[in-house]
Amino acid sequence: MGYYLQQLVNGICLGGMYALMSVGYSLVYSIMNFSNFAHGGVIMIGAYIGYFALTALGCPFFLTFLLCGLGSGVLAILLERFVYTPLRKRSAPSLYFIISAMGASIFLENLVIAVIDGTPRNYPEIFKNTINIGGLNLGLDSLLMIIITAVSLFILMFIIHKTKIGLAIRACSYNEKVATLMGINGDLVIFVVFLMGGILAGFAGMLYGMRFIVKPTIGLVTNKSFVAAVFGGLGSLPGAIVGSLLLGIMEIFVASWNSAYRDLFVYALLILVLVVKPSGLMGKVTEDKA
Amino acid sequence: MRKLLAILLVSVMLIGTLAGCGEKESDTIKLGWMGSLTGDQAAYGTCEYQTLQLLVEKKNAAGGILGKQIELIGYDTKGDAQEAVNVAKRLCAQDKVCAIIGPNASGQCIAIQSVLDEYKISDMSTVATNEKVTVQDGVLKEFNFRICFLDPEQGRIAGKFVGEYLGFDKVAILYDVNDDYGQGLKDNFVNVFTAMGGTVVAEEKYNGGDTDFTAQLTKIKETDAQIIFTPIFYQDFINIHKQARTLGMELPMLGGDGCASEVLFDAADAVNGSYVINHVSLTDPSGEAFRTEYAQKWNGAKMELNGYMAYDAFLAWCAAVEKAGSDDPIKIAEAYTQIEVDGMTGKIKISPENHNPIGKSGCVEQIDGVNKTYIFVTKIPTE
Repeated sequence: MGYYLQQLVNGICLGGMYALMSVGYSLVYSIMNFSNFAHGGVIMIGAYIGYFALTALGCPFFLTFLLCGLGSGVLAILLERFVYTPLRKRSAPSLYFIISAMGASIFLENLVIAVIDGTPRNYPEIFKNTINIGGLNLGLDSLLMIIITAVSLFILMFIIHKTKIGLAIRACSYNEKVATLMGINGDLVIFVVFLMGGILAGFAGMLYGMRFIVKPTIGLVTNKSFVAAVFGGLGSLPGAIVGSLLLGIMEIFVASWNSAYRDLFVYALLILVLVVKPSGLMGKVTEDKA
Repeated sequence: MRKLLAILLVSVMLIGTLAGCGEKESDTIKLGWMGSLTGDQAAYGTCEYQTLQLLVEKKNAAGGILGKQIELIGYDTKGDAQEAVNVAKRLCAQDKVCAIIGPNASGQCIAIQSVLDEYKISDMSTVATNEKVTVQDGVLKEFNFRICFLDPEQGRIAGKFVGEYLGFDKVAILYDVNDDYGQGLKDNFVNVFTAMGGTVVAEEKYNGGDTDFTAQLTKIKETDAQIIFTPIFYQDFINIHKQARTLGMELPMLGGDGCASEVLFDAADAVNGSYVINHVSLTDPSGEAFRTEYAQKWNGAKMELNGYMAYDAFLAWCAAVEKAGSDDPIKIAEAYTQIEVDGMTGKIKISPENHNPIGKSGCVEQIDGVNKTYIFVTKIPTE
C-alpha cells in the first residue's frame, strides 16, 4: 500500500511539473489557435537564468525564483513581439505560427549552445532534506514544487476568472474578432497571455533544473507537457492541469510496471486522444479549433 | 595539386637521404609514438608523450635495451584520423620504427590499420576501447594490439567487486536500454554475480533521455537490494542519486568508467559513498613513486589516465623486444602475445586470439563527497 502511495506521490510531482509547463501551451492556444512550441525554449532559458543566478550571482532561492519568472516572461513577450506580431498583422494562417514557433525553439536552443555551451549543468543542492510522512518520502524540493505549482496555478485561475483582464482573455478565447469589435484590446490580451505563460515557464524551468538538469535540449523534454495539454484539452486551463496530473501519475505507474513502455504509452495516448476525442478531456468544441 | 607535388618531392628527397644513412641506424632502437598533442584531446596525448619521454630517459640511463639506446620518435595526430594515417606512414616508411605506441582514440587506431598491415609494424594502443581496433568482422588485425580492457570487462569487475569484496548477495540494476555500453556491462555483471550465488532482485530500465527515475527507484526501494549497479553515464548517475536521496534511499550505487567524472562533485552530497570502476586509480598508492617523478620532470603536471596506459604499453614493448631478441618489427609483434608483465594497471598478458589484454585489473574507487575526491578502494582482476 505504501508502495502505491509513494508512486502516486512521484506521479503527482511529475504531473505538477507538466502542469506548470502545459498551461503555457494551453493559454496561447486558447487565444491564438496555435501550439506555441517555442514555449519549451522559454522554459529552458528560465532554467539557465536560475542556474546562473544561483551559481554566478549567488542569489538566494526566492530571488532566483522571481528572476526566472521575470526573465522568461520578458523573453516570451519579446518572442511574441518579434516573431508572432508580424504574422498576426498579416493574418497569416496558423500553420505559419507553428513553423515560426518551431524555428524560435531551435533558435533558442542553438543560441544557448553558441553563447554558453552544450554541456549539461547541475544546480547546486539547495533543498537536500527529505521529510517522512507515515512511511512516504517526500523531498523538500518536491514538496516545494507541489506548493509553488499549486499556488501559481491558483493565482492564474484567479486572474482568469475574477479580474477584468481575465474576462477579456476569456472573451478572446471564445472569439477574438468579436471580442475586439466589442472594444477589448486584443494586443493587450495577447501581451498578458504571453507574460503569464512566460512567468510560469520560468518557474517550471527553475523547478525542472533543480530536480533534474539544465541543458539546451530541455525544450524537447517539455514535449510531454504538450501531450498533457492535448490530453486535457488544448485551450482549456483546468484541462491542462488535470491532464498533466493524470499523465504524470499514469506515466509513473506504467514505468513502475515496465519502464521501457513509458514513452510508448505516452505517445500512444496522444494518438488515441487525437483519434477518439480530439478535444481532449475538457476541451472546448472542436469546430473552431484547428 | 602543386601542394601534393611538393609533398611528393619532399618525401622522395627524404627517402633518398634516409636510404643514404640507412646503414648507420642500427646503433639505436627506434620506438614510435603517435597521439594528440593539439586539439580536443591534447591533454591525453601530451601526458602519454611526456610519460614515454621520461620512461625512455630512465631506461637509457640504465643501459637501454638489448645493449642499445632507445630513440623515441613522436608525432602529433591532432586528434584526426586522416592525420593519424599520415603520421603512421611517416613512422613506418621514413623513420622505420620497430613498433608504435598510441594513439589514444579508437577512431585513429582503426584508421591506421591498413598502414600497419602494409609495413608489418605493430601498434599498441593506449585507451582505444572499441572492439574493432583489434578484431574486425571476426578477422584479427595482426598488427593491432591494445593495453586497456574493453568496456564489457568492467561488468565482470563490478560483479566480483559486489559479490566478493563487498560480500553482497542482493543487487538491483538500473540501466539505459538504448545504450550498448550499459547493456554489455550489465550482461557481464549478471553472469559473474549470479555465478557467485548472488541474486538480482530488481532489473529496472529506462530510455536514454529520461530524466525522471522515481518510478524505478521506488520499485527498487521495495526490494532488499544492498547496492544498485548503474552501468550508465555520469549525468544520469547524478540524477538517479539526487532522486534516490529524495525518496529517502541511502543505498550506495556502483557505476562504470562512464560515471567517473569531476562533474559528480556538483552533487557531492548525493553521490557520497557510491563507487565507480576505472582503468586505474589516480590515487592508487602503488603509482605514487612514478607520479612524483613525473611531476618533478614536468613542472608539477598531474598524470592522467593515459600516462598509466602509456607506461604499461612501454613495459609491454620492452618485454616484447627482449623476448624477440631483436628490433625486428614482425618478431616484436609475435612476441607481444607471449609476454607477461606486471604493469601499473595490473598484470598484462595479451591474448593471441583477439590481441586484447587478459586478466587485467580494474580499480574501484569510492566517491568522497565531503572532500570532493575519489578514494582508492581495491584493484580487481578480470580473469
